[in-house]
Amino acid sequence: MSIADISHAIQSLGLMTYIRESGYTYPMIMSTHLACIAVFGGLILLTDLRLLGWALTDMPISNVVNGLRNWKRLGFLIMFTMGFLLATSEMDKYYANPYFILKMCLLVAVAVHAFIFKSKVYDHPERLDTQPAIPRVAKVAATWSLIVWIGIACLGRWIAYYEPPKNNRTAPVVATASVQP
Amino acid sequence: MLIYDLNANPLNNTEWGFPLTECFHITSFALSIGTIMMVDLRLLGLGMKKQTAKQLLKDTGLWTLAGLIIVITSGLLIFSSDPIHYLYNQAFRAKVTALLIAIIYNYTIHRKVAMSDFSPGVGAVTGGISVLLWVSIVFGGLWIAFV
Repeated sequence: MSIADISHAIQSLGLMTYIRESGYTYPMIMSTHLACIAVFGGLILLTDLRLLGWALTDMPISNVVNGLRNWKRLGFLIMFTMGFLLATSEMDKYYANPYFILKMCLLVAVAVHAFIFKSKVYDHPERLDTQPAIPRVAKVAATWSLIVWIGIACLGRWIAYYEPPKNNRTAPVVATASVQP
Repeated sequence: MLIYDLNANPLNNTEWGFPLTECFHITSFALSIGTIMMVDLRLLGLGMKKQTAKQLLKDTGLWTLAGLIIVITSGLLIFSSDPIHYLYNQAFRAKVTALLIAIIYNYTIHRKVAMSDFSPGVGAVTGGISVLLWVSIVFGGLWIAFV
């Protein structure tokens, strides 16, 4: 079984076929994905800006990190679920799209970020409040997060503009119901 | 007569112009709406409870404004890539209407309530309307490609 076969099998599942061929479900899922960027992605940006000492400097870091933690988790869950549905419903087109692959790599970078910085920064933000200056580890975590998340948002957009080479014999040609914006 | 050649627009005659502008659009609406959402979470009584809404509004105001300026500027650039198409697009019209209402709402009622000692009920309604307005604009933006 090649990657092309696996991708085709995934997008041929009942739910994925339904989403791809639906009139309004597909754009509804896409809109929700995008709205999550606005509502919850903005909260990620704000946390990063606070950790860098650029915004919300009147309030302790712990208030920002603790106050937004659960909302960011909820947002990530919705955003990821919607993105998963969008990608798997058009897996034939996505698996060979370099921007999609790069976006998945950046998602791994998000996991690595959590693995490294969760215990050092995000689990105990009160420790940061008692420091005379924001520790370097917090600023590195925030910079990493900013770059990776903005990269993910931008790559998501660029996925739509990739055109596969026309003489690509391995890519199956499948008609889809979606409209490329 | 003023003749506007669409093909002279860098958004139309370069490969990266359009998607790059969209990236600015998306990142800046995350910033502007995200900062407003933080105030809304407080108004709704659902988050950031250690801070007053007044303090949150003061601390995020400039970031919201900066985000709005970039999102509207990049939006106008995207609009310039095909003005007639957008003008006759129902989703675009709905989006712009909602945007105008949201901006006026944000700098009048929303601001006034956030700066006051609001009751939980008033806060919840004010924050709820704000969330719905801004989310509807994002939905409207995406539906431009689907109507």
